[in-house]
Amino acid sequence: MQFISYYNFRRLLERLSKDFLVYTPQFINEKDYDYSLFKEEFTFNPYRMISSPRQFFTASSSLIVGYFDSKISRREIKPFAIVGLKSCDLYSLKIQDYVFLEGDFIDEEYKKKREANLIISSDCTSFKEVCFCLNLEIKPYPQEGFDFNLSDVDRGFLVEIGSEKAKKIWEDNKDLFEEREDLSERRQAKRKKIIKELETFLKSQALVEKENLYELIKRSRESELWREEALKCVECGACIMNCPTCHCFLLSDEEKEGEYFRGRIWDGCQYKNFAKVAGGANPLKLRAQRLRNRYIKKFEFFKERIELYACTGCGRCIEACLAKIDIREIFKNLSKSLRL
Amino acid sequence: MNQQSIYAPQKVTVTKIIEETPTIKTLVLRPQADFSFSTGQFVELTYPGKGEAPFTPSSDPAKKGEFEITVMKVGRITALFHQAKVGDTLGLRGPLGRGYPVKDFVGRQILIVGGGVGLAPLRSLIYTLFSRINDFKKIVICYGARTPQDIVYKYQIQEFKKPTKVELRLTVDSPDKSWKGNVGVVTTLLEKLPLNSQEAIGIVCGPPIMMKFTTLKLKELGFGDENIYLSMEKNMSCGLGKCGHCRLGKFYVCKDGPVFKYSQIKDIEDIWD
Repeated sequence: MQFISYYNFRRLLERLSKDFLVYTPQFINEKDYDYSLFKEEFTFNPYRMISSPRQFFTASSSLIVGYFDSKISRREIKPFAIVGLKSCDLYSLKIQDYVFLEGDFIDEEYKKKREANLIISSDCTSFKEVCFCLNLEIKPYPQEGFDFNLSDVDRGFLVEIGSEKAKKIWEDNKDLFEEREDLSERRQAKRKKIIKELETFLKSQALVEKENLYELIKRSRESELWREEALKCVECGACIMNCPTCHCFLLSDEEKEGEYFRGRIWDGCQYKNFAKVAGGANPLKLRAQRLRNRYIKKFEFFKERIELYACTGCGRCIEACLAKIDIREIFKNLSKSLRL
Repeated sequence: MNQQSIYAPQKVTVTKIIEETPTIKTLVLRPQADFSFSTGQFVELTYPGKGEAPFTPSSDPAKKGEFEITVMKVGRITALFHQAKVGDTLGLRGPLGRGYPVKDFVGRQILIVGGGVGLAPLRSLIYTLFSRINDFKKIVICYGARTPQDIVYKYQIQEFKKPTKVELRLTVDSPDKSWKGNVGVVTTLLEKLPLNSQEAIGIVCGPPIMMKFTTLKLKELGFGDENIYLSMEKNMSCGLGKCGHCRLGKFYVCKDGPVFKYSQIKDIEDIWD
């Protein structure tokens, strides 16, 4: 397998900076990491970043297109090379890909970014208290969906090459890599260790099994729990803005000196007017309906459409919620109340 | 400028404005590029620089060069469309979604039930059915408005009963002195229908409350869930199945509808809200 030392990896990023805007992990407080433009120094993130990778493919507020005879157009920027995505993040891109790339209409901006961007993921070497990926059968180390994946071993990384694009980059930068056959077992041991630790940690929480989540949501339409939990919600939208699989957005039209343009702003089903129609009807007028809607969308809609739950177990919604609404607890309590 | 974007509208010119009622106008629009739709599909109409809203064209899909939308003034964007003048340029995306599966209606008896501005999409369907009227056994059109003043297409509605196999029934909730017809909500028109309800098709479009009670009435009359077609009203924003606003169960109304069989959606919570 290919190996790259920490030092050479930094040199690789320096070289990539010519063609890419390189984002690397930055230590931001005692337990959190976030993306930051590559500088000489960066810290390797042991678990997922605080913000989701969604921002690299559809920005929270951005110009999409100028229309009619408008000269306004999207500013072309260099593609991103994003270092430090984790397995859960790569899973979330399957959901985003389905939304923006499947069907009769393809979102060109998203497609362009997905094709041009370089994803350098890495194994988790630790986890946060809110992480529950394994409960959803997502392993804490990437197996697909990356260009390069890094496994931290022996003052460097074992590198898995996951795409033609990555292969080309490797070929152009062979001087930075070396062949190491002796490290595979070390990687294996590290991976086993993190699985074991995470398993033990999750077992103590007695979470609802993955295969029961769909039925649980299907059978809990009338549960009082939605109302009880929603009473705590302050409608800040943090769960939406931090969720890697949330994708809803608004189109927003503007005019500047006679030129028309249309932008995209992230929206979400926890906001009061999300489903409201011009005539005034609002099928999601109650907070309880909106909270329930979030779970139906993630665990029923996507399951029925593409056989996947739109949840990665990253726990960002738990971390972000001011009211301490906890998806793990919601499932446990629903399960208890329905005696499943 | 990127005309390839699925979010970019093309230009349409307003060529005529018809005042239907105090709150409803029909805009006749001429797209600058090729445009055609099948009955029941919808479009997103842009007021430049301000925003867009979904409408199902009310004109005959076979008519080339121009199409019509009928707009009730209910919110910010529809109010802007009401201010539009002949010659103005608006934006158009579409056609979007799936319309009426007219080929499935061949050989059947058809009941059309409209409420208020809900007659707009149905008028386009009526044109389509009339253009091949020999394909259908019988057509009954029932339409209800709040007052005689609120009836849309007053200038042509009587023409709908011209073909011999068509029956037209009208009602208003509150009559004025000149009204000599039926008084009551639209479901009061659904008695003694000259149709075999076990086999007939029922097509309903109107405000949610009207669709709810019409559907219940049709079921009571013996219409099958498979034979009731509803135009669902949801907040269709992008119209492409991406923005997430119009989810209805496992469907997006914009992409999988807006026309659904009742059997497809009857088990979904809160469908009439």
